[in-house]
Order: sequence, then C-alpha cells, then structure tokens
Amino acid sequence: MAKKFEVMVGNKAVAYAAKLARVKYVSAFPITPQTTIVQYLADMMASGELDAEYVTMEGELSCQASAITASTTVRSFTATSGPGLLYMHHPMHMTSWARLPLVMAVVHRSTKGMQPDQMDTMSQRDTGWLMLECQNSQELLDTGIMSFKIAEDPRVRLPLIFAGDGYILSYTSEPVEIPAQEEVDAFLPPYKRPYPMYPEEAEEARALMSEMWNPFVDPQKVWADQQQAAMNAKTVIKEVNAEFEKWFGRSYGNGLVEEYKCEDVDAVLVSMGTIASTAKTAIDQMQKNGKKIGLVAIKSFKPFPDEEFQRIAGYAKAMGVIDRNVSTGTRGGITFTEIRHALYDVDERPVTLNFHAGMRGKEVRVEDLKRMAEKTLKAANGEKVSPIVEWA
Amino acid sequence: MEIRFHGRGGQGAVTGTRILATALYYEGKFTQGIPMYGTERRGAPVVSFLRIGEQRINERDLVHEPDMVIVLDPLLGKSVPITDGLKKGGIVLINHPHKGRETGLGGDFKVATVDATNIALDTIGRPITNTAILGAFAKVTGSVSLESIEKAINDQWSGRIAEMNINAVRKAYEEANMPEDVSDLPPQKVEVKPGERDVSSWRVFRPELDKEKCIGCKRCYILCPEVAIGMVDGKADINYPYCKGCGICVEECPVKAIEFVQETL
Repeated sequence: MAKKFEVMVGNKAVAYAAKLARVKYVSAFPITPQTTIVQYLADMMASGELDAEYVTMEGELSCQASAITASTTVRSFTATSGPGLLYMHHPMHMTSWARLPLVMAVVHRSTKGMQPDQMDTMSQRDTGWLMLECQNSQELLDTGIMSFKIAEDPRVRLPLIFAGDGYILSYTSEPVEIPAQEEVDAFLPPYKRPYPMYPEEAEEARALMSEMWNPFVDPQKVWADQQQAAMNAKTVIKEVNAEFEKWFGRSYGNGLVEEYKCEDVDAVLVSMGTIASTAKTAIDQMQKNGKKIGLVAIKSFKPFPDEEFQRIAGYAKAMGVIDRNVSTGTRGGITFTEIRHALYDVDERPVTLNFHAGMRGKEVRVEDLKRMAEKTLKAANGEKVSPIVEWA
Repeated sequence: MEIRFHGRGGQGAVTGTRILATALYYEGKFTQGIPMYGTERRGAPVVSFLRIGEQRINERDLVHEPDMVIVLDPLLGKSVPITDGLKKGGIVLINHPHKGRETGLGGDFKVATVDATNIALDTIGRPITNTAILGAFAKVTGSVSLESIEKAINDQWSGRIAEMNINAVRKAYEEANMPEDVSDLPPQKVEVKPGERDVSSWRVFRPELDKEKCIGCKRCYILCPEVAIGMVDGKADINYPYCKGCGICVEECPVKAIEFVQETL
C-alpha cells in the first residue's frame, strides 16, 4: 500500500490518532496550546470523516467527568493542557478508580505560564493514570493509536495520558505518515465495554463492580489492583510497541525507554520529550568527536521503567538526568528521583547528576546539552563534579 | 539549511513557513516549520523558522544562525535586528521595491528583493506578502519548483483564494531581483528599540487629513484604537508615530476628510 504523508502540526497528528482509533465520544474544552486538536476533530466530524459525538463542555472538570461516563460504553477521548489538566485533577482519580481505559492527550503547558514544561502532567503523577511522552509529531500519532490498545488491554484497563510539548510540537509542522485506516482497524480491535450495558453482559462485569462497591472488601484493594495493573502495563507496552513495529514499521525503543547510540559508552544523558529529541543531535556531535556518551529517552513515565535503568546501570558509569520539572522541597527533578530510587537496589551504582532545564519553555539548545554531557562524562571518569543538581 | 522568517502579524509568516515546508517536502526534503507564538497581533513583529534536511530533524531548539533570512516587510529592519546571526555569505530575501544595494542593508551577505507588497495588492488585493515572497524564494534559491509551491498552496486553500495566491507566486517569480553583494555597505541601524511606542513602520497605508473638510465631529478621535488622533483648535490632528495605519478613521469620517495613501519607500 502506498504510504500517505502530510506536512502537519503536532496537534493535527494527535487529532489523526483519535480519528484512526475511531473514537466515538470526544469531550473537550479549548485551551492554548491544545485548542487546535479539538478544532481538527470538530472539522473531521463536520465533514463526515469521523463518526463520533462531540461535546464542548463548560470546563475541564466536567470534560473529564463526562468522558468517564462515556468511556463505560464507548471509546472516548479528551485533550487538554496545563491549567486545564489541573482543573481535571479531582475526577481523574475517579477514572482510574473505575478502571476506565480513557485516553487523553496532554499538550504540555506550564502551570506558571503559556510555554511548555511537564509540571501539568507531573502534578497528576499519583492519580493512577499511565503516562507516555513523545518526541515528535509522528510519535504523537503513533503513540496515540498505541495508547488505546495499551489502556484497553484486559491486563491493564487503566486511563492513559500521552503527552507532547506545547508549541515545540503542537504548532510545528513536519512530514507525518498517516497509517491506513484498515491497518489501524486490524491493529486496534473495536472497543470492549468495561461495564455492562445490557443484562446479558452483566455476568462478566459483576466481579469488578462488586469489588468496587462491596464494603467487605479491603479498602486498600483498589490501589493494590491499580498498582498490579500498572506493573502489568510494562509488559503490555512492550508487546504493543513490538506489534506496532510489525504493522507500521516504526517503534519507540522497547516501548518504555529508547536507548540512542548507547553501544560502547561510558555515560548517558537521560531525558523525556522534545529535550530528548534535541539531545540526539548533541549526542551525534559528541560521538563524532570521540566522546563516549549516549542517550536514554524515557518513553513511559508511568509505569516507570525501573528494570531498564537497573540494566543501563550495568554499562553507564554516570547518568546526567535532564528534568523539565521540579518537585519543590525534594532534592532534584522528578525523573531524577525515580531513577535514583530504581538504582538503590543495584550493587554498583552509577553517579547520577541532575539538570533542571526547559521549564516555562526556556529554550534548551544543542550547546546546553553538550555542556551537560561534558559534565556527565567528567563524573563518569571519576572526577568530582558539583553541584549534583543544577538549574541549567 | 536553516531559514528565519521575519514578518508582521497579518502578513502570514507562519502560513508561509508551513507552505514552504510542504513544498520542500514535495521536493523530497524533510522539513520542520517552527512558528513562534506569544502575544502576536496585526502589525507587531513576528518571527518563524524553517529547517530543511535529508531525514528526520531531531533538533527542537530555535534557529540561531540561519543560512537565509526572509523578510516580509520592507521597514522591519528599523525595529528588529533582522540580520543577526546570519551566516557569512548568507542571503537576505526582503520585500522591498528597490534592488538589493538600495535597501539600506549592509554586511557580509547578499540581498535579494521583490516588491511583494505591490504584487500582493495587485493579485490578492491586500498587503499579505507571504505567498509572493515564496515565488521570489523559488527564483533566488532554485531549491524548490513553482509546481511544488503551487501544490502546497492548493493543500492550504482552494478556489479563488488559492488562485490569487498562485498568481502572486508566479508574478513574484518573474519580478524578483537576484542577490546583490552588500559587504561594502554599512549595516542597518535598529532605530526603534523594543518597548518604544513608535509604530510608524507598521503602516502600509497612511491616513491624510484635509483640515479644510474636517467638521470637528470627533468621530475619528473617539474611534482610533491607538489614541493616535487628538483635537487641535476643534479639528482632528493625527499623531503619526502612534498610527499603525488600520484605516478605521478613513472608514468612519462622515465627510470623507481623511484619505488613505500608500506609503512609499
């Protein structure tokens, strides 16, 4: 089949993902830089390309609430940014509690300005949602399609956020391949209702319902189950990523992390999202000059790839972790903390350094990343470097 | 190759970048069109970037050392340092009625020109200069065919709008002036500093008041969104540094005492 490409902005790629997944319900409230996603979806519905119900809500809280209800019966989708996501916080706990495989696109916008950083999704870290991060517009489209398959897998059945940086991806145009609808249909089976709609369906769903509402069940069980499902997601994400590769010829690392040029290196830079993309250019240039440093791009933040980092610790003597986020009152950024937590169980721990970069859209240039890489290499060579955590 | 676009809100720098990104993609290139969004509004200086490569472009930062600068407005250089960071021997393609050496630009680069404002007024009827400049780009660089640009324009619009823009591209291709060396000329000075309120250079048209006809009704004085019109001796008085040339006063004057005159260079 001939490949179909279009030069499009990141937001259009997200809209295509929802369209190709044949979502039946979209609830949305416009917020920069997410707005054009719902404009494109509304256009697709108006022109008859997409057969779905579109509801403009009066705010993000009701967006999430209505998507919860809709996703009990049909494949549903919503998208938001920054403060909009914060306004969804309360019902988001409900979505994971009800174990609904709702998929949401988040176009990163700072909680303290218009420009991107990861503080919006990081503020939802403990809502029980899975979180995937994207580096370019093609990855947004592909991850969007994979997200539905991951979230709806019976071993997982958890809500999922896939995210990309606002402005840097949302409004930047680049060529994106649009997979054929028939192939997506074959890859992603029709939605299976997690709750019964007709009496004859009731039997299979009863187990889940009764656990949720039965006062004799351990009150903590809901989290224990979610935790188990999120851990199962590690396997499911890897499987879906590999299956996507078979169908469409593209995959993203092993689904959890992407190790870029990590053969025969002494150290690695670690990052998520578009910073990781720019870091690839920095790594190319460093390796051309004989520097032994690679890149680990985190693709899945929730579930966090602990085992992958424990394995990477086997070859990297130092890790320079770049965080587009901060957890005030904790030493270092959020992925930095998670990585150190994962490495505690390793006998020979690498040196870990942290850089806060790109917050509120502060530009992260190739030169900045090369400087961070140099510092990480110094640490790998046994030199004492300080500070461990810096504002780059 | 990396390109920086300078324009004003409303001239279509962002759309122009996307059309060129699409056209170059049709030439087999991988492109990345990066708009800069902030508090843009009609007339305010805007900037966008275009990267052209052979495969997927991983860099996600902005372009700081462009090979080429495309300027959609002739007077933008007075308020924005349009040639900053331009590589030695690079090209400036500017919307200007005169040839490269008469644009007031100077430095270690070449200047190509095209009178995009008048071409746009002729073909589109509005001073939206983004598509005209692309026709000149095709001629000056030879890196993209007119067919690819026209195909990309047809992706963006259809019908009469597409046709008008394609006419602008073709006319600009005919009329563009090839790059001229300006390394012996002094650099252009940025006269208006950011934060200053002189917006004279934003105008394509200038309102001119006939004091004899003015009846002192204060309609223009009340409606001017920029408070650029005062009242002196019972007659309207235009304060040009504050006037962006929106034309509301021309439209609203009940006795047609204000005429809209195109600015000339």
